[in-house]
Amino acid sequence: MAFQTQGSNLRALLVEDIKVNRMILSQMLRKFQVETTVVQNGKEAVELFLGGETFDIVLTDNLMPIMTGPEAISKIRAMGATDVMIVGVSVDANSMEEFKDAGADLCVPKLKLEILEHILQETRSKKNKSSA
Amino acid sequence: MEYSNLRRQIIFMKKNLFDQGYLDEQFNQLEELQDESSPNFVEEVAALFFKDSSRLLTNIEQAIDKYPQDFYRLDSLVQQLKGSGSSIGALRMKNECSVFKANCNDRNLEGCRRSLQKMKREHATLKQKLESYFQLLRQVGPRDYAVSSRK
Repeated sequence: MAFQTQGSNLRALLVEDIKVNRMILSQMLRKFQVETTVVQNGKEAVELFLGGETFDIVLTDNLMPIMTGPEAISKIRAMGATDVMIVGVSVDANSMEEFKDAGADLCVPKLKLEILEHILQETRSKKNKSSA
Repeated sequence: MEYSNLRRQIIFMKKNLFDQGYLDEQFNQLEELQDESSPNFVEEVAALFFKDSSRLLTNIEQAIDKYPQDFYRLDSLVQQLKGSGSSIGALRMKNECSVFKANCNDRNLEGCRRSLQKMKREHATLKQKLESYFQLLRQVGPRDYAVSSRK
């Protein structure tokens, strides 16, 4: 698979407590030349936004210590960060509704390279439209 | 000739791992992520998985033996194992985690114990099979890993 990038690099926030998953998802994002910040729970994600950090896309797990993905998403959206693409990633089928109710743009059970490529293209289009 | 045999063995071994249900498509995803800048990515991810999952299995065993049982904690531990297992394509382990979770939900302690024993067996078998697989891959060298991984 050719890993394509167009235009400036996207900035991603990866929120994941499981080391193996962090390693794999980070590598996937690296393949698409995405600048990635990694945190281990929802609270750390929220703190970044509170500190004024901005991201084009957030990829988050559901169940994590201290603060879950959906909790973090609700808080991030409540802060006014409505433009950032937020993707819930969880093998748990019950997570989908929680993610959507919290304000995620979409949820996937597993992140495959083809799916990530499509999501990043959509994120890039959204970013280009809003900066036009 | 020796090299061709090795490559054939690798392809055969990987096919078996898939046919017997030890691995699923997610493992192919990992192999697609391996490149010149991360030439040992798959083996490193697998090593991390087996390190973490061994710890989780120990924690699950300790939690099962505690009285009164905390099924919420048991479920949480197995959820972590299921998540990481799913990410590396460990299909049998992922499926057994689902069985364990169902037993937790039913507060079926004996069911959880049986499921744990099965998870431990699947874990040990997968570890052994992947170690053999990686050993063969090391013999062909990283240059040709990309070719083997596409089969």
